[in-house]
Amino acid sequence: MLPLIQTTAITKTYDADQSVVHALRGVDLWVKRGEFVALIGPSGSGKSTLMAILGCLDSPTSGQYTLDGQSVEALPPPALARVRNEKIGFVFQYYNLLPRANVLRNVELPMLYAGVPRKERTERAKELLDKVGILEKARQFPSQLSGGQRQRVAIARALVNRPALLLADEPTGSLDSRTGSEVLALFRQLHRQGNTVIIVTHDPSIAALAERKVELSDGLVAAAKSAA
Amino acid sequence: MTASGAFWIRLSNAWMEIRENLGRSILQSLGIILGVASVLGGLSISDSQRRRSDELFVRLGGLDKLNVQPAQAAKDGTPTALQMANLGLRSKDAKDGAEMDRSQVFGVSTQKSGRARVRSPFADQDRAITGIGVDYLRVEGYELAAGRSFTSEDLRNNAPIAILGSEPQEVFFPTGDPLGKTIRVGDVPVVVVGLLKERVFHFRKSGRNIFRGRNRIIALPATLVQWRFEGDQYQKLERVTFKIPQLSAMELFSKNLSQLLVSNHRQQNDFRLDDVAARVTKQRKNGDVYDVIFMLSGVLSLLGGGLVNVNIQLASLKERVREVGIKMAIGSSGREIFKEFMTESMLLAGLGALVGLALGCAFSWFILQTIEVPLYLRASSFGLAVGLATLSGFLFGLYPAFRASRLSPMEALRYD
Repeated sequence: MLPLIQTTAITKTYDADQSVVHALRGVDLWVKRGEFVALIGPSGSGKSTLMAILGCLDSPTSGQYTLDGQSVEALPPPALARVRNEKIGFVFQYYNLLPRANVLRNVELPMLYAGVPRKERTERAKELLDKVGILEKARQFPSQLSGGQRQRVAIARALVNRPALLLADEPTGSLDSRTGSEVLALFRQLHRQGNTVIIVTHDPSIAALAERKVELSDGLVAAAKSAA
Repeated sequence: MTASGAFWIRLSNAWMEIRENLGRSILQSLGIILGVASVLGGLSISDSQRRRSDELFVRLGGLDKLNVQPAQAAKDGTPTALQMANLGLRSKDAKDGAEMDRSQVFGVSTQKSGRARVRSPFADQDRAITGIGVDYLRVEGYELAAGRSFTSEDLRNNAPIAILGSEPQEVFFPTGDPLGKTIRVGDVPVVVVGLLKERVFHFRKSGRNIFRGRNRIIALPATLVQWRFEGDQYQKLERVTFKIPQLSAMELFSKNLSQLLVSNHRQQNDFRLDDVAARVTKQRKNGDVYDVIFMLSGVLSLLGGGLVNVNIQLASLKERVREVGIKMAIGSSGREIFKEFMTESMLLAGLGALVGLALGCAFSWFILQTIEVPLYLRASSFGLAVGLATLSGFLFGLYPAFRASRLSPMEALRYD
């Protein structure tokens, strides 16, 4: 079976004031379907950049990136938007919910961009809110929720278009340890249900929960080892 | 996308955005509000004035008239013998003119004025008297209250009869019904056969009745005046008015009439043609200048407001970069973001236009109230004002929406 993610010699350079910053210097990475991968490394290692490229938020300077059988490294912005919408679910450290939309609307939004009919949107959003355990908060606004609840909403939103890849960037970074571990438990549950999960973190204890750790250092994959 | 109701969601989001930032939104739409108010108010004021003038012209007997009046043939210096010998405007001119094109001429009103001592048992005054033709009353917009008007028979016979306006009715017969009574005009006893209705028109409510002079009319058959008061065997006239309902025929008619009169008058141009419709059109053209000024001030206001709008929108975009980033991350295309911003800007323009329309109505109503002319609102003025507002909302929404749509999702997400 084809891997879900296959990158070959991905590089990314930024033009800073006077110099050129090489954030990625040739990353080769494979992720199989159904895997649970932790992307670790200290700040400045390039893991955020890699995550942006894996999430199709940004395009690599050079190299190839195949996601779910589709070559995406050179897609124009509208096509990348569609890929993000259909294939990728994001979970961010700071939740990134729309403050002026209620929980249900936040979760419905990706389906709106996908053109899902209204009735189905509401049904699916409620189904997922139920799955992450906060259906009763559907009519509330993000500001009325605790951090853990917000992150659950974000996870529901990430899953609502049945993405091929769940991409989480420090998902417990703003949570206390108890709610953090609850959220992590949710990720593991989702993984057991067949979702491919990549968690970006600098915390080794979180990375330890993953099947496999990919460690980035200085814009290169330093070590890739199986945990389980 | 439309099938999923995306448009309505965009609209409701835009509404939410506007409501959440009410102060900013009001500032943004101020230019549009003032622009629309200025366009609508200005146009309505000039429309109302114009409508009032139109009403006046209708009451004067319509626009479809061609006046001919005698004029000095020699502009300066001593007139030539030929010019001296000319008789000026005569009854023959009126008759020939009417016969020139029977299908177009719907009435010829002739007028010959004089002054005479007018006496009744109740009053004795020196008055202007008007010698009129058969069609005069109709063409000039008079209406009979009682009795009859003159017939061609009366004119042929120089019949000693009179029609009185409302003022002389009062003056010469203060006790009542003058019909059938005799007044003496100069030395001639004439019988009152017709009474005219009082004519009233106030351009402004408290202004004077501009038909006051017309109510003073003492009308006799033109031939009687020419014969008995002026001793004029040539039947000279002060004015001939042709009523020509077909305005398109007016130009040709006046050209032909001009030629006819020149040949009647021994090749002298001793008369003046006055096409009422053309005069009014010209007057109205002058009035159009005000329309242009109002429009211009409205457009400038929309322009200024639009530029302010762009600035505010760009500034507010800074607060919303992150939101745009989130939307892009979960799959919104730049196009979708563009549509969202445009929806907001158009909605704002639409709401601003509504407020502006209300303001414009109030504004013109207030102004017209003070000059006492009734308010007249034309649907097309509304259309124009709203159209300009929409255009401004669209054009000035483009740039901020474009900027928002071109944000990089990565950078937008990191933005603080």
